[in-house]
Amino acid sequence: MFDQLLIGGLATGCIYAVVGLGFTLVYRTLRMVNFAQGQVFMVGAFLGLSIAQRVHLPVLPLLFVVGAVAFALGMVLERLVFRRLYHNHEVFVVGSIGLGIVLTNAVRVFFPEPVPFPKVFGSHVVQIGTARFQEAYFWVVVSTLVLVVLLHAMFAYTRGGRALRAVAADAEIAGTVGVNVNRAIALTFGLSFAVAAIAGVLIGPLYFVSFDMGDMVGLKAFSAAVFGGINSIPGTILGGLVIGVLENLAGGYISSAYKDLVAFVILLIMLIWRPTGLLGRDTPVKV
Amino acid sequence: MTTSEVLRRWWVGAAVLAALLAFPAFAPRYIVHIANFILIYTLPVIGLGFLTGFTGRVSLAQGALFGVGAYTTALLTTKFGWTPIATFFPSVLMTVVLAVALGGAAVRLAGLYFVMATIGIQQIVWIVLMNWIDLTNGPQGVRSIPAIGLGDYRLETPQKFYFLTLAVAVISYILAKRVIGSRLGLYLRALSDDQLAASSVAVEVGRAKVTALALSAAWAGAGGFLYAHYVRYVHPDMFGLEASVLYLVMSMFGGYRSIAGMVLATGLLESATEYLRPFGEFRMIAYGMILLLGMMFFPKGILTIVRRRTSARTAGKT
Repeated sequence: MFDQLLIGGLATGCIYAVVGLGFTLVYRTLRMVNFAQGQVFMVGAFLGLSIAQRVHLPVLPLLFVVGAVAFALGMVLERLVFRRLYHNHEVFVVGSIGLGIVLTNAVRVFFPEPVPFPKVFGSHVVQIGTARFQEAYFWVVVSTLVLVVLLHAMFAYTRGGRALRAVAADAEIAGTVGVNVNRAIALTFGLSFAVAAIAGVLIGPLYFVSFDMGDMVGLKAFSAAVFGGINSIPGTILGGLVIGVLENLAGGYISSAYKDLVAFVILLIMLIWRPTGLLGRDTPVKV
Repeated sequence: MTTSEVLRRWWVGAAVLAALLAFPAFAPRYIVHIANFILIYTLPVIGLGFLTGFTGRVSLAQGALFGVGAYTTALLTTKFGWTPIATFFPSVLMTVVLAVALGGAAVRLAGLYFVMATIGIQQIVWIVLMNWIDLTNGPQGVRSIPAIGLGDYRLETPQKFYFLTLAVAVISYILAKRVIGSRLGLYLRALSDDQLAASSVAVEVGRAKVTALALSAAWAGAGGFLYAHYVRYVHPDMFGLEASVLYLVMSMFGGYRSIAGMVLATGLLESATEYLRPFGEFRMIAYGMILLLGMMFFPKGILTIVRRRTSARTAGKT
């Protein structure tokens, strides 16, 4: 039972971690929280569904195509929408929630009922120790690892990635040394959309996809990001895994009804005890 | 302000009040029904104004606090047989206690960190309402909540209920104005502008912030009380994050630190569900667009258009 819960929790935790990365990327750059992140995850799942229903693609190209489309969508929305919301965080919070409502209900028009996702990852049952789980769980974990390694490589070794880090550290100074700040912000949104959408495709085959699937996942991924440190990429990944495992264990051993409570209680305790999160660094203003 | 201006203000106030009092005699029942909701929602919205507008702390937990007020009275009247009026103070008190217990430590957090904490509070309350089935009936909600009544006279129709909501809304408006005009209001504005400067002139920042939180919860609890006895049915989904977002938008759309603006925005947005009806299944998309476009183009509230014009008009006078 423990193995089963642990592996299930790790897979869910990976999803929280990847969606949470979207929050972290935007937060590091702008000190804003994009509350449409969960809805982008949902749109990603439906994007994957629409493509997989029409063309038979293997897993990797499918993930790549969805990521690319979501990346473009993020860039476009940054240019048209987000750029007008940078006044202060209240405006950004409400504006992005409004965008989330638009996305949810636009998808709802086309898919009012939950839809099964094609089994793009195959449907073998794998056994490790006493735990039996679908092959798709394995894919979720592997894809997350690959995604994180790719992101790390991009931030550490490419010129564009270093530019993004510079903007995150201090946009004004990055601008004076020749980084195109506006483009870096647009790329940040593109990246955050891409990772969330890929997470949507990863989770699709495990459950049904529905227009409201992003609401709870988005908020839990957000809790995960805050728990691990919303300005730290390793922190967010750690936070996602910890929350995924803890809530699965709580659901298995304590009560399945209060499973959803775990993430938010952790969020509240963490904010009061240590607002920067486990691995976060900069201290928030707390006079 | 000159005496003639004070006099004019009184006249305007009296005229608005007279119009509101006469309103249900002319308006159809359904319009009165909507008006009741608008008046009820002004309470959580004004309450949120204490935190958001005056203290600079954006809360996304007001829907949950409103729900705590509504559930307290719903459970006391249906499960313990209290008369509705007797549950008013317990509902308000319960809301305040819960808000301070959950949010008292979080209110010292600055800016976005407080928003994050209130999202946690909102979700915790909602999940508990949904899952503590023995107490709250969970997803079934609480049905047949009694109507408020004095003796045999029971406020069962929208028209009868209207005068109660109007009275409560007017009292809440006047009280809120008083609070804002008081020393506490001054403290709150000071600490929202510059917390360090405020604390240096002996404003007890921590206590002022917790007081603002308690006040906002009290207003939410009172609103929840009215709501429960008007709709006479409560369900956890009525008090979810969507409701909190709605109250936040209502308190922001009106403009910065204007209680009248908050009331106006509540009216505009609450009736939105009515005038968005022609959009049919695209209604919620239109609603999301209103939030998004409103924030994109009027980040300081819709009333800024009106104010810009009046200030341009009065600018020549001085």
